[in-house]
Amino acid sequence: MSEAAALARHGLRRVDDACWEIPAGARSDMRVPARVFADAELLEQIAADRSLEQLQNVATLPGIREAALAMPDIHQGYGFPVGGVAATEPPGGVISPGGVGYDINCGVRLLALPLTAAELGGRAEALVHEISRSVPVGTGHGRGGLRLDGRRLDRVLAHGPRALLDDHGIGTADDVEHTESRGCLAGAEPAAVSERARTRGADQLGTLGSGNHFLELQRVARVADAVTAEAFGLREDQVTVLIHSGSRGLGHQVCTDHVRRMDAVLRRYGITLPDRQLACAPLSSPEAGAYLAAMAAAANFAWANRATLAHRVRESIARVLGDAVARGTRQVYDVAHNVAKLEEHHGRRLCVHRKGATRAFPPGHPDVPAAYRDAGQPVFIPGSMGTSSFVLAGRPGAMERSFGTTCHGAGRRMSRTGAKRQITGAQLRRGLEAQGIVVRCPSNAGLAEEAPFAYKDVERVVGVVERAGLAATVAQLVPLGVVKG
Amino acid sequence: MTYGWVDHTAELELHINAPTEEAVFEDALRALAELVHDGARRERATFEVELSARDRAMLLAEWLDELVFRAETEGLVPEAVERLRLDDGRLTATVRAHHGEPRHLVKGVTYHRLDFERAGDECHACVVLDV
Repeated sequence: MSEAAALARHGLRRVDDACWEIPAGARSDMRVPARVFADAELLEQIAADRSLEQLQNVATLPGIREAALAMPDIHQGYGFPVGGVAATEPPGGVISPGGVGYDINCGVRLLALPLTAAELGGRAEALVHEISRSVPVGTGHGRGGLRLDGRRLDRVLAHGPRALLDDHGIGTADDVEHTESRGCLAGAEPAAVSERARTRGADQLGTLGSGNHFLELQRVARVADAVTAEAFGLREDQVTVLIHSGSRGLGHQVCTDHVRRMDAVLRRYGITLPDRQLACAPLSSPEAGAYLAAMAAAANFAWANRATLAHRVRESIARVLGDAVARGTRQVYDVAHNVAKLEEHHGRRLCVHRKGATRAFPPGHPDVPAAYRDAGQPVFIPGSMGTSSFVLAGRPGAMERSFGTTCHGAGRRMSRTGAKRQITGAQLRRGLEAQGIVVRCPSNAGLAEEAPFAYKDVERVVGVVERAGLAATVAQLVPLGVVKG
Repeated sequence: MTYGWVDHTAELELHINAPTEEAVFEDALRALAELVHDGARRERATFEVELSARDRAMLLAEWLDELVFRAETEGLVPEAVERLRLDDGRLTATVRAHHGEPRHLVKGVTYHRLDFERAGDECHACVVLDV
């Protein structure tokens, strides 16, 4: 579909060279416009699936303010599109569990090692292999996860990585400080998490999962902003590890529980929706309170999961590269992709839903860690397997245009089956190894599903958020090795 | 086979056409079994399921959610329905399974495009899984 056809089909009008808008009048049930950050090529890809229709559905939610927003990595989801952002205003504005998604606080954490790729030399393969032996991957129950139950699980749900540090010596105080919301969302209530959710998550801390979750050994190939890179503790040729995982089965079940609960009370609140998966309730309602308490607990669990994964990476580093390198491995930051938060925007207290989108607060914002306050909040944009990832910093435009939000990755453009039709896992493995990338993945089919061509061009996605003023590139990271679930 | 999968960017959409409501539920299990099947023939097991919901569409979502839960938490890979009964808003069933390692992660059974309707002599259902 050409740009002109995409514009015509969806009633899009161009706002500027990085933003398009579907006016609120395009559909009788839309309360606000739907805006998409994209360039012409990405817009054509976006218009090829149902994501713009889903974005218009989001624009119908009661209490939504300003616009339903889509980041340039948007793709079709269920209810909300992936890459969607919506801000609703209490008390009548709603919270929608589907606007956060099943993998609550799926996110990424970046570790920086105190050595260069040149110094790492031929030990990259040994390190990737050791990490793959230490980190359980795949579907289902833990198989090597940290099993917590009863009060110990309650403490993780209530306090996140801080509880792991205090109770189990996992992580460091510096890690906690360099985590979005210090790894602990206010209002988390362990009692709000169902027994079914606790059962699904009981032994999954420190497990990667499957699908698009991964652990990548990288090197800093290019520094684009030397001052900010220095503030983040990054330099050219430095070795880094990027961890992508979420709240595992516990978060999946919290979403399931509360979509069901809210679906049952829509009529009571007089809410009519174009898609049942947008099930929601007013922020002032007991149903919203219960979901926010459980979602916060699941988000804390996800941060604790990534903290445990980081702990296992450090143990692997110690075994392969020595204790001094492990001790010198610091956490740059950890950001959430799927979460809803109450934040101040434009003089209002709003509930910002981010589903496949990253908070990107600018320099000077009080919620940015003190060490980064002059630089802006770090944002990590993973590419597809074998391609570059990017470190960005939040910019003032994000507060002005996107409720302090930017994109979260390259964004899928092809189904998993479609990817497997074009390449086998064995072919992809050989291709990556020919590029010098070490691959550890137990499933060839799973590997093929994540083929680079199944995703949008991450450099194009990053270019859009830069031009829109949402975030600015700090450094480019290239893969040395990947561990996949 | 009366079911088929439509593969989207990050979701799987299941369509079922069957002669009876009970057959829709049986086919839903077959479809999920195809998705999570691990190729193993380990220790056999059966388990009982009792569910209730406000309508047939939600009952179908609950049915798949229960099968996903058993697979993820107990490693029970479903194989077939031994007995299934539908009353007003209620399902009771006995499921034959084996202990194994279900190979496909299903994060959630969504309500997106969820549908269950009877048209003439045929029932049609649609359900989207987040995978």
